[in-house]
Amino acid sequence: MAFVPGQPVTAVVERIEIQKLFQGENLILGFSIGGGIDQDPGQNPFSEDKADKGIYVTRISPGGPADVAGLRIGDKIMQVNGWDMTMVTHDHARKKLTKKSEHVVRLLVTRKSLEEVVKHSMGRP
Amino acid sequence: MFCRNQTARATVARGSALEMEIRRGKFRKSLFTDTSQDSDIQKKIDHEIRMRDGACKLLAACSQRDQALEAAKSLQTCSTRIMAYMSELQRMKEAQVMQNIPRRSSDVGPMDDRLPCKGKVAISDLRIPLMWKDTEYFKNKGELHRCAVFCLLHLGGEIFDTDMVIVDRTLTDICFDNPIIFSDAGPGFQLHVELYSCCFEEDYSTGSTPRKLASKLSSSLGRSAGKKLRAAMESGPGSPVSNGGASPLLLPVPSVQGPKYHLLAHTTLSLSHVQDSFRTHDLTISGNEECSYWLPLYGSMCCRLVAQPNCMTQRMMSGWLKVRQCGGDPQSWSKVFAVLKGTSLFCYHRQEDVETNIEPVFTIGINKETRIRASDKDPHSKAQNICISNQYGGEEVTHTLTTESREDTHGWMEAFWQHFYDMSQWRQCCDDVMKIELPSPRKPAPITPKQGSLYHEMVIESSDDLSSTVSDILAQRMQELELRSQLGTSPTWMSLFEENLPKSAGFTRQCTPRLSGLSPSSPRATHQSPLSSQRSPQLGLLSSDASLTSDSDSHCSSPRSHHYGWPEPSSNLSLLSSSPSRLRPRTLSLDAKLSTLRGKGYGGTFQCPCQPPPSSLLAPLPMSSRPPRSPRGAQTTLSCSSSTSSNSSSNSEGNHSPESSEGVSFSRPSPVRRSLRNLRARLDPRNWLQSQV
Repeated sequence: MAFVPGQPVTAVVERIEIQKLFQGENLILGFSIGGGIDQDPGQNPFSEDKADKGIYVTRISPGGPADVAGLRIGDKIMQVNGWDMTMVTHDHARKKLTKKSEHVVRLLVTRKSLEEVVKHSMGRP
Repeated sequence: MFCRNQTARATVARGSALEMEIRRGKFRKSLFTDTSQDSDIQKKIDHEIRMRDGACKLLAACSQRDQALEAAKSLQTCSTRIMAYMSELQRMKEAQVMQNIPRRSSDVGPMDDRLPCKGKVAISDLRIPLMWKDTEYFKNKGELHRCAVFCLLHLGGEIFDTDMVIVDRTLTDICFDNPIIFSDAGPGFQLHVELYSCCFEEDYSTGSTPRKLASKLSSSLGRSAGKKLRAAMESGPGSPVSNGGASPLLLPVPSVQGPKYHLLAHTTLSLSHVQDSFRTHDLTISGNEECSYWLPLYGSMCCRLVAQPNCMTQRMMSGWLKVRQCGGDPQSWSKVFAVLKGTSLFCYHRQEDVETNIEPVFTIGINKETRIRASDKDPHSKAQNICISNQYGGEEVTHTLTTESREDTHGWMEAFWQHFYDMSQWRQCCDDVMKIELPSPRKPAPITPKQGSLYHEMVIESSDDLSSTVSDILAQRMQELELRSQLGTSPTWMSLFEENLPKSAGFTRQCTPRLSGLSPSSPRATHQSPLSSQRSPQLGLLSSDASLTSDSDSHCSSPRSHHYGWPEPSSNLSLLSSSPSRLRPRTLSLDAKLSTLRGKGYGGTFQCPCQPPPSSLLAPLPMSSRPPRSPRGAQTTLSCSSSTSSNSSSNSEGNHSPESSEGVSFSRPSPVRRSLRNLRARLDPRNWLQSQV
């Protein structure tokens, strides 16, 4: 997921659809995010490239909607419901995920293992 | 220099600066031949010279900037005093020589060489407003340009200085509160107020930088930095000798290294400015923006200037009189002891009454409207009568006084004339006695290293949103602390699950959402509102606590089965019982943690065994029995810690040693401080924020 400024980013992504869960009067997704263009990327434990300011999943509540939907910790979120997440502030990302009017969020996430899987599958003739 | 034959001699100490000056011929020794007044002044001069020498030495020896400033201030004061005494001395000498009349050649009154009485003049609550540009005032960045200022107040032969105040752009006014009292001031007094300032740059210790280098430096640095440097250089050894520009140099002012004060503004106050309330006066400002000691003064000064002429406070005349009220019985003379003070003539039965503060029998007003005249010689008595007429509300009331002898009458008349004269000279001060506050005993001014600004510091008090939760948290904390102390040590990784512990209810277990299937609704749903701000405090607390335990220990210890992690305690307490008591002041670096993680097979996929439902005391929900995801459980100390941290809020740099960002001093800071700290840490952009969604 190396990101070269100025070049379009290409990544192998997985589409994950999370159904928000009602907890009391709140809608929750069951995971936590970290990162953002206003954050210090060097402190991101999940990113390969320590200059990557993308939004990463830092924690998943076991059994939560995200967990159930297949989100994994360390995933980088590329899009949320069509909104780009690769170049957004932390708060912006949070807002896009927590819109009360939306009960479903469709994420495009990428992770290292995906690339390997693809390579692997492509490698095999 | 001890001449025995001279009737008037000056004793000049051998080796003193004065002697040296005399030797150099800078001034005549005759200046110091004394008369009684001269000797007073000379003594004062000697004293001031000694003080000045002391101040110079102190300045040379000072290392701290504040001390140096104080020493420079005393130096300036001493120099000014010496100057003033010298000039007064010289004036006196000249007057003596030229006029050949007794020394006192001050105000000659129009009436028979009458001199008005002296009085006390007090100035207090000096306030000089500053006028910073609004951009300056609110800007948070950049160095604070600070100046040390003080005021010199000069009246007649007395010079006083105020305390030194450090001024920077966070101050709106320069205030000197202590009252300064000048005794022995005449009604024509001139009170000179001078404001001296010196820039207070801490970074430039340029004592020994050669001039050339300094100027090169100053030209190659940025403009403002160079200006500051040059200003600091000004106080270096090469600075030109200056005495403030006042009177001609009688003594060479010793050039010293160290801070130098410059005159920033001055004004002169006189009798017309005296009033029993605050008044604003204009300042004349010297210097301009380019000077290092510049401060944006508003241009005026507020103060309270009061005067107490002696005629108002002291007894001018007293004696026995016989008083008769006009219109009364011609023979009804009452013998009274009368005291002339202030605006009245107090008449007492006995002399002792005056001391004992008994009310006078009656009081005759003596003010500007009173008319006093000596009546014609009374055929019955030997002496003249004095008639005092007053207007009491349209009616004229006349009292007639008579004394034992003519001399007494004359004395009383003199006293009355003098009193009237004083009142005419002191004008508004004689309407009523103005109060002078005595200066409070001088205590050393509390030295605040940095004066707090209204605008800079905004302590984040718990807002309404937070208050309930924070207090909950605190309550929880207390309990938890108690509980914890009772427990033995539990496996380090248990720390991970601290959160499960009755830590704080407040802990929004957002991290561990209550899944509907799992447990009853958490009351914390309210907390769930993903207001990061709301989360922070509790989360922060969590982190401080959990992380406290979680992290470091986790990696150090071998991964135990995380089964423990998921105890099926029915209550927090039981969980607690298996939990370790953590007091681990150590945190590992990120690298160390990551490496241990990797070693443990931290893979991409794994779920953070995010907790078991937060049992919290608040909401005593039973810890749901979570399927022991032990395999996962494993290592992820990283993730767990991150989870804990995430649960806790980002404040931890979101990673791993949550506390490390805070400098890790785990001496268990008090919960309140911790929560505040966490809040601040959370808002600190350097931390890696994590938000729960």
